[in-house]
Amino acid sequence: MQYIGFFSLLVSLLICVVMGAAFFWEALRSGRDEQLKSLAWMEKSQVAIFIIVTLGSLILLQALWMKDYSFSYVYRYTDDFLPQAYRLSAFWAGQSGSMLFWLWVMVLMGFIWLFSPVYKNLPSRTKGFFWGFLFMIQAFFLLMLTGPSNPFLIMDPAPAAGSGLNPLLQNVGMIFHPPMTFLGYAGFTIPACLALAGWVTGDQRSWLFQSRNWVLFAWVMLTGGGILLGGWWAYMELGWGGYWAWDPVENASLIPWLVSTAFLHTAMIGKQRNTLHRSNLVLICLSLITCFFATFLVRSNVIDSLHTFGGTGVGPPLVALMGASLVFTFFVALTGQGDRSAVDNFWSKQGMMIVTVWLLLALAFIVSTGTMWPVISRIWTESPMGLGPDFYNRVCLPLFTLIAVILCLCPWYNWRKGISDKNSFIIVCLVLVFTIVGLWIGGIRLLLPLFAAAAGVAGMFSLVMYIVLTPHVRRKKAGWGVYILHAGIAMIVLGVAFSGPFQDSREMVMAKGEKVIFNEYEFHYVEFEEILTPGVAIYEARINAYKDGRRIGQLTPQRKLFRGFDSPYAEVSVIPSLGNEIYSTILAFDQEKNITVKINITPLVKWIWIGSFIVCLSVILLVGRVRIKKADEMES
Amino acid sequence: MTSKNNSKLMYVFAFVLIFSGVGYLMVTSLTQNSTYFLEVSEALAMDANKLERARLFGTVGGSDLQRDADALGVTFNLQDKEDQRKVIRVRYTGAIPDLFAPGAEVIVEGGINPESDIFLASTLMTKCASKYEAQDSYQEKAHPDNIPYKSY
Repeated sequence: MQYIGFFSLLVSLLICVVMGAAFFWEALRSGRDEQLKSLAWMEKSQVAIFIIVTLGSLILLQALWMKDYSFSYVYRYTDDFLPQAYRLSAFWAGQSGSMLFWLWVMVLMGFIWLFSPVYKNLPSRTKGFFWGFLFMIQAFFLLMLTGPSNPFLIMDPAPAAGSGLNPLLQNVGMIFHPPMTFLGYAGFTIPACLALAGWVTGDQRSWLFQSRNWVLFAWVMLTGGGILLGGWWAYMELGWGGYWAWDPVENASLIPWLVSTAFLHTAMIGKQRNTLHRSNLVLICLSLITCFFATFLVRSNVIDSLHTFGGTGVGPPLVALMGASLVFTFFVALTGQGDRSAVDNFWSKQGMMIVTVWLLLALAFIVSTGTMWPVISRIWTESPMGLGPDFYNRVCLPLFTLIAVILCLCPWYNWRKGISDKNSFIIVCLVLVFTIVGLWIGGIRLLLPLFAAAAGVAGMFSLVMYIVLTPHVRRKKAGWGVYILHAGIAMIVLGVAFSGPFQDSREMVMAKGEKVIFNEYEFHYVEFEEILTPGVAIYEARINAYKDGRRIGQLTPQRKLFRGFDSPYAEVSVIPSLGNEIYSTILAFDQEKNITVKINITPLVKWIWIGSFIVCLSVILLVGRVRIKKADEMES
Repeated sequence: MTSKNNSKLMYVFAFVLIFSGVGYLMVTSLTQNSTYFLEVSEALAMDANKLERARLFGTVGGSDLQRDADALGVTFNLQDKEDQRKVIRVRYTGAIPDLFAPGAEVIVEGGINPESDIFLASTLMTKCASKYEAQDSYQEKAHPDNIPYKSY
C-alpha cells in the first residue's frame, strides 16, 4: 500500500511538471490571440491529479483507520486505544501528513474551481496561465512529499502497537483547528494564481470580482478556524488561562491574517474606485507567500518555539519557494500597467481604509521581524537575542487600538470625501469620549486598555447605529454582512482590552473541606472523585464558588492519566459569564486528596468568543454569486 | 487642484506620522525588551553577569530532580540538547506544566544568580503539542490503574 501511495504522489508530480512545462513553452511561443492547445490537457490533468492525490490520501486515512502500524506515520501518531475520530484526525497531527493534507485541499480546490461558472467564462489564456501557476505550486508540494517529507515511509518489521497521539491533541479542537487553518492557507492559492494570470494576460481588475468568494472562504477559515479557534482551544485546553502568547507558531498564522485582511480592504477600494490594482496584486500574492512563511516557521527548526515541528529538510526548499514567488510577484507587478485613477481625498472611507491597511501591514512587518529576531540578531552577535510578549504588547497593541478607533469612525465617511451624517458622527464621538471618561471613573487607569475598551464599545454602538440609520446598507445582504462582521470585531476588541490586562490569577493548595477567599469570591473544595476506565483514569475535584454568600456555580477541574502516557493531563473547568469568568485547573493532588489548584478570574473573556462567532457567521452574508462580466464591460 | 494636492499632502503626513510612531516603538522596544535566546551550551559560553535576563532552551536532566511537595516549584538540571554533559542548574517557582518530565524539551525564562550559579526561572514551558514525538520504544507502559498516587 505504501508503494501505491508513494507512486500516486510521484505520478502527480510528473504530470504537474510535464504539463506546466508544456504550457509555458507553448504560451511563450504563441501570439496573444492564438488558442492554446495545451489548455484542454491541463484541465484534464487537474482532474487526474485530483483523483490520484485523493487516492493517496485515502490510503493514508485507511491505514490510520485500520491501525496499520507498518506505516511509520500511523505508528508514530496513533495507538490502539485512540477513538476513531482522533485516529483519523492524526492525518494532520504530523509533519508529512499535514503537508499531504494541504496539497489535497489545494488540489480539491483546483478541481472545484474547474467546474465553477466563473471559471467557464474566463478567457482561455487566463485559464492557461492560471493552471500554469497552480501546477508550479502543486509540483512544489509534491516534491516535498516525495522527498524530505514522505508520509508513506514503511516500518519493517511492523510494530505491534502504536506510540499514541499526544493527549493535548485528543480534543475536538484537533478535529477542526488544523484542517481549517490549512484550508485557509490553501484557499489563497486560487486567488493568487488567478491574480497573476490576470496580470500576465493584461486584465488587472476582473480577478478581484472573480475570486471574491475564494478570498472570503480562505479568510474566514484562517480567521475563525486558524486564529480564533486556536485561541479558544489554548484557553480551554492548555490550562494556563490565556488565549494568546505571541508564540512563534501563533505569530506564523497572524502574519498571513494581517496581510490578507489588508488585502480585503484594498480589494474593496479596487472594486469600488478602480484603483490600487498593483497593491492588490502584491497583497494577494503576499498573503499566499506569508502562508508559505507560516509553514516554514512551523516546519523548520529556524525558531525555537513552544510548538515547532521537527524539521526534516523542508526548510530550505520553502525559503526557495518564498524567495522565487516574491521575486516573480514584484516582476509581474512592475512590468504591468500602473493605475490610471488616483486615490480620493484623505478624509473619506477610502482614506481611512488606506490608513488601516498601512497599520495592518506595519503590524505584519513587526510580527514577522519580531518572530525572526533570533535569526536576524545572529548577524551581529554570537548570542542570539529574542523577543517576548512584552515586545509585542508594547509595539502592536497601540496600533491595534488605533485601528479600533478608526473602526468606530470610518462608517460615517463617504467613499470619496467628507462625512455622510454629521450628527451621527458626533454622537459616536461623544459615546467614545463618555466611555473613556466612564471607564476612567470606574477605576481603569491603564491608557491603552482604556482607549481600546472604549473603542470597542463605541465601535459596536457605531456599527449597529449605522445599520439602523442607513437604508441602502440594509437593502443588501452584503451590507448587513460587512457591518455585523465589524461589530463582531469591536466585541473582540472590548474582550481583549479587559481580559488581557485585568486577569487575576492565583495558585493555591486546598485541603478537602477548605474554604478560600479570592477577590470577591469564595471557593469551597467539597468533593474528590475518581473515575477509572481502561483507556484513562480521571480524578475530579468539585469546588463550589460563592459570591456575596450566594452560590454561583461549581467548578469540576479534572486530572487525567491516559494509557500509554506518563504525563498526566489537566482538564479545565469554567463558570461561564459575560462578566468575570472563573477558570480552574488542578495542577496536582496527593494521597490525602489535597489539591493544588490554579484559579483565574478573567473579565469579559466570553465577549471574544461571541465576537468571533459573529465575525465568522457574518461572512456567510458576504458570500454571493459572482456577476460574470465580459472584459469590455469592466472598463465602463 | 489645490484640494487634490492638499489631500495628497494629508496622505504623506499621515504616512510619516504613523510610520515614525511605529519606528519609534520598534526601536525602543527592540533595545528594551529583547532577551537572550540561548541553548545551554551557548549560555555556558557566556559571561554569567550578562545573563540577568535570558530564555534558555534545553532538555530536562534525569538526575537530581527535586519537585516541591505542593507542585509549585522544581529544581532540576537543564541539559544541552546536543551535549548532555553541559548542564545548568535551574530553580523554577510556579505551576509545573503537565508535560514536564526528564527528557522533555523545555524553555525557561529568568536569570542567573551570579553568587549561587543557579538559574532562577520565572517561566517554564514544555514544548507544545505539534512538536510532540512519542518515544521510539513501544513496550507496554504502566496502565493508569497501576500508577500509585503521588504528587504529580
